[in-house]
Amino acid sequence: MVGELDGASAAVTRGVARVLALAVTVLVTSAHVGSPDTYFEGAAGPYPVRVIIRNPGVVPGLAQITVRLLAPRNVGRVLVVPVYWDPRTAAPPPADVAERVPGDSTLYSAALWLMRGGSYSVQVSIEGASGTGTALVPVMAVATRRLELEKPLGVGLLGLSAFLFIGALTIVRGAVRESVLAPGQEPDQRRTVRAWMATAASAAVLALALIGGRAWWNAVDAAYASGLFQPLHGTATVGEAPGGGRVLRFTIDDTSWTNRQRQWTPLIPDHGHLMHLFLVRKESLDGFAHLHPLPRDSTTFEATVPPLPPGSYRLYADIVHESGFAQTLVATLQIASPASTWHPSDGDDGWLANGPQRSALDHEQAAQLADGSTLTWERGDAPIVVDVEAPLRFVVTAPDGKPALLEPYMGMPAHAMIARDDGAVFVHLHPAGTISLAAQQAFVLRQPGDTARGELGKRLAAMDMGSGRPGAALPGDVSFPYAFPQPGRYRLWVQVKRHGRILTGGFDADVRLTR
Amino acid sequence: MTAAVAPAARAAAVPWYVTAALVASTSALVGVLWDISWHRSIGRDTFWTPAHLAIYLGGVLAGVSCGWLVLKTTFAGTPDERAAGVSFWGFRGPLGAWVCIWGAIAMIASAPFDNWWHNAYGLDVKVLSPPHTILALGFTGIQLGALLLVLSLQNRDPTNAGRRTYGVLLAYGAAILLQNVAIMGIEQVGFANLGHNGLYYKVAAGAFPVLLMAVARAARLPWPATTAAAFYMALSLVAIWILQLFPATPKLAPVFNPVTHMVAPPFPLLLVAPAAALDLLMRRVGPGRDWQLSVAAGLAFLAVFLGVQWFFTEFLLSSHARNFFFGVDQWDYSSRLGPWRYQFWRIQGDPVTPQGLAIAAGLAAASARIGLWWGNWMARVQR
Repeated sequence: MVGELDGASAAVTRGVARVLALAVTVLVTSAHVGSPDTYFEGAAGPYPVRVIIRNPGVVPGLAQITVRLLAPRNVGRVLVVPVYWDPRTAAPPPADVAERVPGDSTLYSAALWLMRGGSYSVQVSIEGASGTGTALVPVMAVATRRLELEKPLGVGLLGLSAFLFIGALTIVRGAVRESVLAPGQEPDQRRTVRAWMATAASAAVLALALIGGRAWWNAVDAAYASGLFQPLHGTATVGEAPGGGRVLRFTIDDTSWTNRQRQWTPLIPDHGHLMHLFLVRKESLDGFAHLHPLPRDSTTFEATVPPLPPGSYRLYADIVHESGFAQTLVATLQIASPASTWHPSDGDDGWLANGPQRSALDHEQAAQLADGSTLTWERGDAPIVVDVEAPLRFVVTAPDGKPALLEPYMGMPAHAMIARDDGAVFVHLHPAGTISLAAQQAFVLRQPGDTARGELGKRLAAMDMGSGRPGAALPGDVSFPYAFPQPGRYRLWVQVKRHGRILTGGFDADVRLTR
Repeated sequence: MTAAVAPAARAAAVPWYVTAALVASTSALVGVLWDISWHRSIGRDTFWTPAHLAIYLGGVLAGVSCGWLVLKTTFAGTPDERAAGVSFWGFRGPLGAWVCIWGAIAMIASAPFDNWWHNAYGLDVKVLSPPHTILALGFTGIQLGALLLVLSLQNRDPTNAGRRTYGVLLAYGAAILLQNVAIMGIEQVGFANLGHNGLYYKVAAGAFPVLLMAVARAARLPWPATTAAAFYMALSLVAIWILQLFPATPKLAPVFNPVTHMVAPPFPLLLVAPAAALDLLMRRVGPGRDWQLSVAAGLAFLAVFLGVQWFFTEFLLSSHARNFFFGVDQWDYSSRLGPWRYQFWRIQGDPVTPQGLAIAAGLAAASARIGLWWGNWMARVQR
């Protein structure tokens, strides 16, 4: 529907069953880049769960959801229901009962119908001996894929079309040549000629109809392609900072955002920041920064630039709207020479200039952190395969070799960023998965009266979501639920906080298409 | 059956394959009306909903019965039966049977195409899509085939004793085609809220006279177009009265309008009024002056249709119509209800103007002329 808020207008509509393994020609996504599926790990009341939602790629479409119970509990039913963000929505439709996957006693599966583009929260409810627990998993419904017609289906349809075409002409010929004659009467030559003329004329009309049908199909396809979700456009520049050093200015210059009658809802802080901005040096991936630019106005954000090596950088900016719609804006940036000084514009900013040191043992990579502690990726021996849960478990050990304790870093034990070397995939992960916690919070706090824009955002901003509990000590082993969406060479950056310092470790991964 | 010796009592007998084709036509129509209501009330569907099954049952019933008729006529038919058919790649059968078979195959062909379409562009984003058009062509083929089967019986009836039976069946078959047109044009002529904009009258003027004039010319009834229009309205009314009896719950988010029962189709157009005018005109003008008749019929159709619908749509938007009988003010579960439901839509952007009415009159006259050509041919179909 035209005029829908937050993604719906851009996303238009469409649906695909991923299981059909259809050819895909375009791949973009909303939150994150090139990684359309949602991974969530958390608690549904007393039940720890891992939820994976496979994006249908089209809206309206069917998303596949799987719910894995992570602890042995006596569970009766697993219910799922997608709830649209709009506060004017009436009661949600009845929940679906997820079916247990045969051969796996802890895995449940269901199909989710996402009928309108925009932001949803999927309510996952577990009913069991310990009572009922619910988890909210934010999901963005946007059109991201364009499918090619598979050859066997195309050939089959062509054959049927030809049959119908010739059949129609034969019927026309029979209608003109014989149908008005009394039974048994033979058509004369004049009627036969007329029948052939009618057949020829019908062939021309039908051919025109087919050409028209083809044009219609092309028009639908073009409209669909132009409606594929595109994140807001942004532009980044680097200038001199007043007190020395460099300042990065990122401007959201998309007309759908700068327009006063914009359909987008306002931004809300995620982990205490309106924007999480990442810089990744192109090709070599050996320069990385995670910054939190400060808003100068509703379109312009600024942050001081750490002393990254010069070169061309890819910029990814994560923002979350009040509707719960999260998106990653993409831009490029040229850094001429390293800044001589750096005064972080935000205390949560962190960066890393070195490439990862590859371990001799492929199954274990260790990164030396700036405070002398070590961050080790316990990845095991198995190869990392597309769409199979990746072993993203990391352990921090103190310089004395003992297990380290962590401080919350923007409310989380750790953050992980994953980029493919060609920039086609970029994802920002937490131990809770790919979801935006601000989006989740927006759905928790949403009230029917939140029809005025900004009301919900104010309540969210009032809650200090970013800092976490000061002084809380968290265990030094962290894991991230995720499966790589595409094969290729990836770099991972894992960030933790110790003794008030942001520490960043880098790792490499080769991801295969199959085992 | 030897037509020359058929006694009057048997003249009106309706062969099994005609019954099958008419039942198939009805089944497809019922399925379509049911499916539209399903999408507006429940939302979620699979291939196996009863509405889809009714549509495809129509295709299968028509395809199998007419396929059997063709095989029987070709390989085991009497010389008379074979003589009363048209040839198709060496086979013989009535023209209507071939059209039914073609329609059934088109319906079957549309199914995998529609499935792919849903995967590629979304679940039923629009009613009018290329695969739905092929499906519609398919069931229209079946409905047209049924009409042709009845026509060949009527036109071969030597004593004319069965003209009432065949005429009523023809009017019923035409009513199903009128329903098809109304369903295809639901976004232009479906809702009463559209009754004061220009497109409403242009679409109606272009779409309905062709069918009404064709049946008026071909069916041997005193009031053929009126009877067809009455059947068309009766089909809609039955659908309205039955559907809204059944409880339904929306099963797809977002639900903006929590409906509790199946959403009824819009109240039918009052086509009996312009159809009666066309019937009267046909009697007065008679055959042989089809060009003049077309112009007069186009003008008469538009004048009566405009006069009736302009005020009747006002009534349908009033509180007096919001009851079980008229079944109005029923909206999709995904509609955000607002004052728009009692207002005329698009009257600023597309008002009814003299220029627009002139275009509509031209369309109605052209539609009537095509209907007469078609009707003249149908009045002569014997096989």
